[in-house]
Order: sequence, then structure tokens, then C-alpha cells
Amino acid sequence: MTRRSRKSIWGKRSVTELLKVDKLWAGYGDAVVLEDISFTLEEGGSLALLGRNGMGKTTLLSTLMGAARYRSGTLEFAGKNLAVVPPHGRAHLGLGWVPQERDIFPSLTVEENLTVVACPGPWNLARIYDMFPRLRERRANMGNQLSGGEQQMLAMGRALMLNPRLLLLDEPMEGLAPLIVQELFAIIQRLTEEGGMGVILVEQHARQILPLTRRALVLERGRAVYNGDSETLLRDRALLDSWLGVASH
Amino acid sequence: MKAIDIIHSEHRALAAVLQALRFLLDEISAGRLQPDPELLGHMIEYITQVPDKLHHPKEDEVLFRVLRERVPATGSLIDKLQADHVEGARHTGQLEAALARYRSEGGPAFAAFETLARGYVDAMTRHIRLEEAELLPLARKGLSAADWAEIDAAFEANRDPWSGPTGEYRALYSRIVNLVPAPYGLGG
Repeated sequence: MTRRSRKSIWGKRSVTELLKVDKLWAGYGDAVVLEDISFTLEEGGSLALLGRNGMGKTTLLSTLMGAARYRSGTLEFAGKNLAVVPPHGRAHLGLGWVPQERDIFPSLTVEENLTVVACPGPWNLARIYDMFPRLRERRANMGNQLSGGEQQMLAMGRALMLNPRLLLLDEPMEGLAPLIVQELFAIIQRLTEEGGMGVILVEQHARQILPLTRRALVLERGRAVYNGDSETLLRDRALLDSWLGVASH
Repeated sequence: MKAIDIIHSEHRALAAVLQALRFLLDEISAGRLQPDPELLGHMIEYITQVPDKLHHPKEDEVLFRVLRERVPATGSLIDKLQADHVEGARHTGQLEAALARYRSEGGPAFAAFETLARGYVDAMTRHIRLEEAELLPLARKGLSAADWAEIDAAFEANRDPWSGPTGEYRALYSRIVNLVPAPYGLGG
């Protein structure tokens, strides 16, 4: 971890701080996956969560959502102790999760998938359809009639309908063709640039997502080895290669 | 070296469209799809406009010029890449004409379009690989921080490979994604 990142971890708490993770230990059952993880995210900030496969990225998102076992440390969201909030209460607090599995409701239409979870706020059907015009075209199709790319857009749209203060995207490009991947990157770029909502993005291809995010956290064997700004990491080819290998490209 | 990130990003977008075009040609050739002149028109417009209006001018006028001055040994490689740029523009002109013929004459004219399109996809794919495998490593090694500052500033002036001057290429790309059949795109 760099000196600069330590400063960012241990620095004075800002009034705009949305998420504070400090000395977090977590895992599944008796197995500890995450050890001593610390980082913060400001309101409307964006974070690239990077690391090779099996390093703890998805576990960290699952811990935030209450799907993995929290063991110790600070887990604060908008000033509230997230560790004591049950999983079903975290979405109401303002956490929107797009899991790798997408979890589309197969027997609901696209529009029903979107509206069933809707919460009041700036993200409504019209805005979702503006962001994902394909979903408007497919609004009457059932969830199980969608292609992989359409399902991913629906999963993202559904999370946005919660009007989250923090959106968690877990490898949204996984298994999609390059043409769709580039389209989704452009959409995520709009989300991070428009601000207003925090975004944590897990992706294998670091060089593609670092330009879209302000901050980056790299995990290696469940520990943070980099916590700093994305630009600095993007410029350090040796660091990227050593932590992420071919996945960095 | 933001310029290199921008080149990679533009290459990814272009390669994605080329891959989708190859997929369409394969499906049409196998009889599983009928040619869609609207979609093919959008794709030809993209591979004509984005390389020739956005991507290649930055390389020719900035990166290649500076690299030629600072690392003279790259001269013959740059000559080859710039010849590719000229040939690519000529090739896309032929593609537009062949597609127009297909639109007016129908079925039999598709074979000529297909031959040209496959040739373009192969040539542009080779060109991208040559830049990434040979030119960019030489640029990384041979150019100074001051050189990169000049190149980065010029590239950042129009860094977004999606938008174009008025956002037209971003919209064009989305239309292509929505029309190309799954699994390569979102179309039906």
C-alpha cells in the first residue's frame, strides 16, 4: 500500500463520506476471505475494485450486501452501522447490487422486472429507457426471453430503479460480446461522470475501467495492496502487471 | 501516456464492430441471416468515419510525426502504417459503393460487397495488431516525458472514441449494437 493511500484511509472523515470500511474481516462460514480491508468512498464517488480471480472482490461486495459473513471491523454506510442491518434492509438504505448472476425474474416482463423494485427518486422508467433504449423495445418480453446483453442491461436498470446512493456492479461485462461490452462501458462512464450516485465496479480488465473511475482498490489474497487514485495506478504499468497480469490489459 | 490509452480504447471499439461485421458475413454466407442493408450501412459508416475522421488523423499528425523525429528507426514501420491508412480510406470508399450497388441491384451484388468487406476486416485487424504489437512498444520505449506531454495534449482534445464532434458516433455505435443479432449484439 502506498503512503498516499494510507493518508486517504486514515485521513479526517469528510462530511461527504458515503462508505467507510475500516479493518474489515469477512468471509463465508468459518473461512476468512477478507483480511483487514480499509477504504472510503465519497458521495457520488467511483471505485474500481480490482484483483485476479479469487482474490476477494465479489466477497467484498457480498459483505456490503450482507450475503457474506461479516466478522469484525467498521462497515459504515451514510453514517449508519451497516453490519447490524439485515440483508433485506440494505437496499432500502441505498445500496443497489448488480450481481454476476444478474438474477432477472424470468416470469416477469422487462417492465415488471423494473417496476417491482422501484423506489422514489430521479431514476424512473423513462430515464431507464433513455439510458437503455433496447429495454424500451423489449418492455413486454419476459425476463427469460432476453439475450445475455439485454439481461445485463435489465439487471443494471433494475438496480438503478432502487435509486441507490451506491451502485455495486460485479463484473457486468462477463460473458458478453465485445460490441456489447463497449456499449456498457460507455453507459457506465455516463453513470460515473454524472455523479450523484456512488459506483463500485468490479472488472477483470483494469485498463478499461480505471479511466472511468476516480479511485481504485486492488485486492490480493483477501488483502488490499493498493488504495489510491485510479489515474496513478493506470500510469504505473509495472504495478498493474504485477498485481493483475494479463487481466490488466 | 494517455494517448496510448485512447488508441487502445478506439481500437477496441473498432475491433468490436469489425468482429460483429465478420459474424454477420458468416451468418449470411451460411444462410442463417438475410443481409440487412440498414445495419450494413451503419457499420460501413462507422468503420469509414471513425478511423478516417477521428482515429488516423491523430496518429498521422501527432504520434507518428513525433515518433519519426525522435526514433528514426521507426520510419519504415510508420511508412507501412500510413500506407495502410491511405489504403483503408480507399477501401471504405469501395465498400460504400459496393453497398450502394447492392441496395439498388439486390442479391447478386452482395457477393462483391462481401468480398470487399472480408478483405477490409482482415486488413484492418492486421493493421491494429501491427500498431499494438510493434509500434506502441517502440513508442513507449523511445519517447520522453516531454514528447508524451505533447502527444497526450493533442489526443485529449478529442479523447472520447464514442462521441465524435457532436455525439454522432456514439449514437451510431448504439444503433449498431441494437441491430446486430445476439449474441454479438442486442438485435433479434
